[in-house]
Order: sequence, then C-alpha cells, then structure tokens
Amino acid sequence: MAGNSDPHGSAFSAAEMEFLAEDELVEIVPNMRMDPINLICGDFGPFRPQIATQVPLWLAVALKKRGKCTIRPPEWMSVDKLTQLLEAERDTERVFQPLPFHYVEISRLLFDHARDDIPDIYMVKSLIEDIKDVRFHKIGTGLETISGRTNAVKLSNLSAMEVNIVRPFLAGALQTFYKLHNPEMVPESERRGSRRPQGADRGARRTLKPR
Amino acid sequence: MAQYFDIDDILAEDELVPAVFKEAANGVGIFDSSDDTNRVEAGSKAELPFWLASELHLRQAVSINVPLVSIKSKLLIISDDFLMCCFSSVYMVFLNVRTREEIEADAAHVDLRKRCPYFYELGCKLAHLIDDRILSDKNIGPVLFVAFQTRYKDVLVKAHTSALSVTAKNLTLLTREETKLYETAQSSTAAFKKWKMGGPRFQKAYVLGRKRKPTE
Repeated sequence: MAGNSDPHGSAFSAAEMEFLAEDELVEIVPNMRMDPINLICGDFGPFRPQIATQVPLWLAVALKKRGKCTIRPPEWMSVDKLTQLLEAERDTERVFQPLPFHYVEISRLLFDHARDDIPDIYMVKSLIEDIKDVRFHKIGTGLETISGRTNAVKLSNLSAMEVNIVRPFLAGALQTFYKLHNPEMVPESERRGSRRPQGADRGARRTLKPR
Repeated sequence: MAQYFDIDDILAEDELVPAVFKEAANGVGIFDSSDDTNRVEAGSKAELPFWLASELHLRQAVSINVPLVSIKSKLLIISDDFLMCCFSSVYMVFLNVRTREEIEADAAHVDLRKRCPYFYELGCKLAHLIDDRILSDKNIGPVLFVAFQTRYKDVLVKAHTSALSVTAKNLTLLTREETKLYETAQSSTAAFKKWKMGGPRFQKAYVLGRKRKPTE
C-alpha cells in the first residue's frame, strides 16, 4: 500500500494505479435509455440510445460488462496516432512525447473489456508495447547521467506507471549520492570550483529532459 | 537519532578497524592475545569494532590508522604485499591501496561485499572522524563517491532489465546499500510485469476461506 513503513518501497501497487486510472473520462455509446445518475464525482447522463456521452472509465467498463453500451476508444488510440508517437519517441533522444498520464492502464482495461470496440486491436497493442519499451529505455539512459551535484531530477511527460516503477530506486539512489557528496566528504576547494556563484546551498540544477 | 535504531547502522559500526593504543589499558587482554597478562601496552595494534574505536578516538586513547596515499603511494603499491605480511592488521582491509587501485581500474567488479559489506556507510563515518589529523587522508570521500558512481550505473541497468534468475554473480559483489537499491528496483519491475500478465482482479479475502465446522 502506498506509504507503508518500508522507506524504500514507497510506491503504489499496480492495482492501485489501475484504480486511479479508472477515473479518467471516456466516451461511450449506450444502447439503452436511462435517467441521469448523480454520483459523488459528478452527474452523468441522461443516456439515450446511440447518443455518445462521457463517463468515467469504471462506469463504462461496468456498463459494457452488462452489455449496455459500446466504448469508443480515445482518440490517441488509433493506429495512425500511435505510429506517429512511436516515430517521435524513437527520433528524440532525451524528450518524452506527451501521452495521457494513465495510458498504460487505460489501454489494458480497454483491451480486456472492449476488444471488439477497437479497430486493429493487435496493431494497437503492439504499438503501445513498443512505445512503452522505448520510453523505459530512455529513462534508463537518462538516469545514467546523474552525478553527485544533482539535487533533483526532472522528467517531463512521464506516465503514471513509469513513475511508479522508478520512484523507489531513484529516491534511494539520489539519497546515497547526496550522502556521499556532502560538504564534509568532498574537499572544500573542489566544491568551490564546481559551484555557480549563487546563494549558499544551491548546487547546479540539472534537468534531464528539457521541456 | 534515527540512526540509533537503524539495524544497518548498528551492523555497519560493528566492522573492525585497526587502531593503535596510545596508552596502556587494563582488563582488555582479549585484544592482544600474545600476552598472558590481561592488559594491552601502549603502542600495540589491535582490531577494534568501529563503535569502540571512535569513542576511544574522541577520548584520545587510540588512534585510527589510515594508510597514507599522497606522496608515498608508489612505494606503497610495490611493497604492499611485503607490508601485508609484516603488519597483518595495519592496512584497513577495505581502504588499502590495492582496493583503491582496483576501484580506479574497474569499479563495477570489485568485490566490495567480501571486503566490507558496509563500505559506504563506514567510509562516511571514518571521513568524519579522521579529518582533523595533519596527514589526514582527504581521499576517502572522492574514492567512495567515484566507486558508487560507476557501480550505480551497472546496478541500474541490470536491476530493471534482467530476468529473475540472471546475474547472480554481480549480486554477490554489491554492498548492503546497493543490494537494497537493486531489490527495490527488481520488486517494482516484477510487480508491474505480474500486473501486466493479468489475472483475477478480485481476490478472495483470506478470512473467508477458512470455514468453521458447523457445530451439531
């Protein structure tokens, strides 16, 4: 569970990330008629046959299971868009492409429950896998360049699952680097040469992925 | 104070460091087993656990040895083996010149766990303790840092991408700190893969599985 007593494992479990992802809105096409429903997170409806509405993903999956709607895949989940994204990811070395924050979870949920609603599902699946692999590889190469003077690491456009996986490792590594590089360990003259003339206690700020 | 209860800290301070007694001490003949009397003479060398050595050092009762590296390093390298035979406990096992050379050559493959599983923590504490001496060895800090930096890259790559049964060899070379990092990365990647495989989304609570026998 998030925030358990183990200081090095402060990550959500994958199931929890999926739970959080289910709050995203998707478009559905109902095939029944229903009055608006009032939930804590908002009011949805009224549902009329063949008229598309936006509902949270959990509600869409629940309706789909009962056969009351079809889910329209989000517009970033088409083969063309994904191919474009894949090309862009492969071309840029240090920048991540903007993707929906929960794209991994959303895509998995849709594959599991709405197979027939997604055109070219195998192509889409393999493209998303490739994008995921390329991004992971980029994270790895980017993290290799952390040096002792890094105070914080900035990774833009990372998705929820990826953040969750690297978070404990990265936090531990940064802490160890800090511990080994603090002013008593490294001789003073060396540090002074490498610091910018700013206020006290600000090492060089290092952004790994410029926006 | 968080370190007082930290198990890793306690174990790190339990490592032995060589020290030279500046004054004679009674009742601690266990350190110097060559004598029958229960005392240690001034000037004799012994290996003490770090927590004891640092306290005595602050009270000026012992002095902790760190090998000099600055000018005489060349001579020390050549005669390292010879000196090792003469003073078997003088050179701190994990900071001797040979280890440093190995780290400079190829940090990723130095077997730090065999030498000292708490390499980094103990090195930090020693650096604090020894920096008031004239011939103090300011090189401990950068050595640790450089070693960690190169090994870290290795650990990072291997942790995230390897299958579960691979690279058992590298694991035995890591200190406790690095093993912790490695394990966290492994566990989070493994959890993600397991989730990706799928599986039942709902799990039956354990308490429900245990049935009570109906009483007649």
